[in-house]
Amino acid sequence: MGQLKLSKVQKFYGTYEVLKGIELEVQNGEFVVFVGPSGCGKSTLLRMIAGLDETTAGDIVIDGKRVNDLPPVKRGIAMVFQSYALYPHMSVFENIAFPLRVEKMPEDKLKARVEHAARILHLDQRLQQKPGMLSGGQRQRVAIGRAIVREPKIFLFDEPLSNLDAALRADMRIELAKLHRQLKATMIYVTHDQVEAMTMADRIVVLNAGEIAQTGAPLELYHKPANVFVAGFIGHPKMNFLPVVCTGVNDAGVEVDYRGHTARIPVVPRGSMAGRTLTLGVRPEHVQTGAADLTLTVTPSVIERLGAHTVAYASLGGEGENYCAMLPGNIAIRADQQVLTGIRAGDCHLFDENGTAFERRVKMTDLDMSLFDPAVA
Amino acid sequence: MSQPAMINRYRWYELVGIYAGIFVFLAFILAPFVEGFSVSLKPLGLLFSSPYRFWPENGSFEAYRTMWVSVPGFARYIFNSFFISTIVTAVVLVLVVPSAYAFARFQFRGSGALLAAFLAVNMFSGAVLLIPLFRLMRSMGVLNTYFAMIVPGVAFLIPSAIWLLRTYMMRIPRELDEAAFVDGASHFYTLRRVILPIAMPGITVVAITTFIGSYAQQFIFALTFNSKTEYMPLPIGLYAYFGRQEVIWNELMAASFVGIAPAVILIFLMQRYLVAGLTAGAVKQ
Repeated sequence: MGQLKLSKVQKFYGTYEVLKGIELEVQNGEFVVFVGPSGCGKSTLLRMIAGLDETTAGDIVIDGKRVNDLPPVKRGIAMVFQSYALYPHMSVFENIAFPLRVEKMPEDKLKARVEHAARILHLDQRLQQKPGMLSGGQRQRVAIGRAIVREPKIFLFDEPLSNLDAALRADMRIELAKLHRQLKATMIYVTHDQVEAMTMADRIVVLNAGEIAQTGAPLELYHKPANVFVAGFIGHPKMNFLPVVCTGVNDAGVEVDYRGHTARIPVVPRGSMAGRTLTLGVRPEHVQTGAADLTLTVTPSVIERLGAHTVAYASLGGEGENYCAMLPGNIAIRADQQVLTGIRAGDCHLFDENGTAFERRVKMTDLDMSLFDPAVA
Repeated sequence: MSQPAMINRYRWYELVGIYAGIFVFLAFILAPFVEGFSVSLKPLGLLFSSPYRFWPENGSFEAYRTMWVSVPGFARYIFNSFFISTIVTAVVLVLVVPSAYAFARFQFRGSGALLAAFLAVNMFSGAVLLIPLFRLMRSMGVLNTYFAMIVPGVAFLIPSAIWLLRTYMMRIPRELDEAAFVDGASHFYTLRRVILPIAMPGITVVAITTFIGSYAQQFIFALTFNSKTEYMPLPIGLYAYFGRQEVIWNELMAASFVGIAPAVILIFLMQRYLVAGLTAGAVKQ
């Protein structure tokens, strides 16, 4: 069992409030990713769950037991650090065996456990080597091995892949996902890399300035971000935000005006809408060439050709707000030449003055439900 | 290809300047040793012959034999020096390793003040405090014992040892401690299994400097706190070559070289542990 419950968890450094009352429940076997910009408190939260940092207020409950005052080892967690934190003078075997040596486990049992962990992580050939002789990916696997042997209820990962190069990171991502399926353990993973978050998580927790901005399955966050922050944070390149004025509401949705261009956005209205200044969000990958529900003529200043895609950057009206479009790879556009771009109303997001989203009328059943439900995957 | 990197290329006059500088300072360090060694080879009668001759005439190692005869207790003095320094080093290490770890890792009230105090103590040389120390030793009744030479030695060597080792330990990544803590290790277990092996080069440096420091400071403590011949360390023992009429210079020099030989050998053996790069692979740097 590895059930985690955080209720009203707060953390103060002096008078500075780092975490502002976090509420979260993690089910047994779930892979939950904490993601957010640097300084949002995600690593601090993980360290508090681990027992490395003090919890100022609130309860951390693991399997129904409040663990605030317990040392890490009594909480049934194991942690993998960003910097690996291997013991350089010990062999790979001894590194992995370290937690068991602390427990004073009998030698034969210990050996079996270490070898089992090494097999899972493909380290069986390296057991006698020192960490200094291993590559970055192998070192990280040793660090994971040290976590596995304890058979913890909950694994905690603190940006474990951020020290690896891009290719290795992609490999390790897949290996970690496999490992999660194999061990069926609860895993909590901190990263600032949204690709890691999107690909591995059953559920993503987006943190912003010490608060949970949104919790949900990866595609839920992508398609139905709850606020401007999540909308801008998830997705790359970043979502475009246009200031619009609401002109009316009807059955089809909310009618907005952007500099004389009007469009009807299929979202659920809230309160009186007409005359309010709202924010229209559209992802670069949903901008296409040619006319659509909302058509804008822009002059891209920079064009990036990535092969599969062409990313065009333009500025709208010179207010410093950038407009970005992700277009097909072989599209015939040039910098400093006007191009007609269109946005489908159904792809748009709409946010109120506080940045809170209006619920989109997209049918989530259009999407593959297995992507949302960890039980199916 | 064998050319040095750009940053290491010098013009000829720069090279001349560099080597001239090296030569001047090296000469000041080495000349006394060279002269001392050549004196130890000369017969006593020829020492003050003029004109001065650098290369000894009729040079021999005779003094290295006669020195044992003219001062029969000399072996004992070497042993005393070695013994005192070894005990001092051992005690300092036992005390300093845990405290340096504490200063490097834990935040506790007064740690900054204590460290500053250690630095301040270092500014007083032991000589200033000799008289108070003498009175203290006398009232404790420990004058003329090994104890009287070891304890002040330890006390005065601890501060710099703590500073040295603390700095070294602060370079060991904190994640190693945290990883061990998460795995259930106590502070002492972490210190023993994780920190000590990694800090070995730092500990060796501390051991060597402490040993040398103890060798150097013995003179003043032994001179004040001890008057028993059998407890005399080497620097005091050398006085035995100062006769009423004359100083047996060649034997004195020979004795000096013989006396420091064990320490030199020991340090030579210890430097094997000064391996750099022991932390390779611990964390991503």
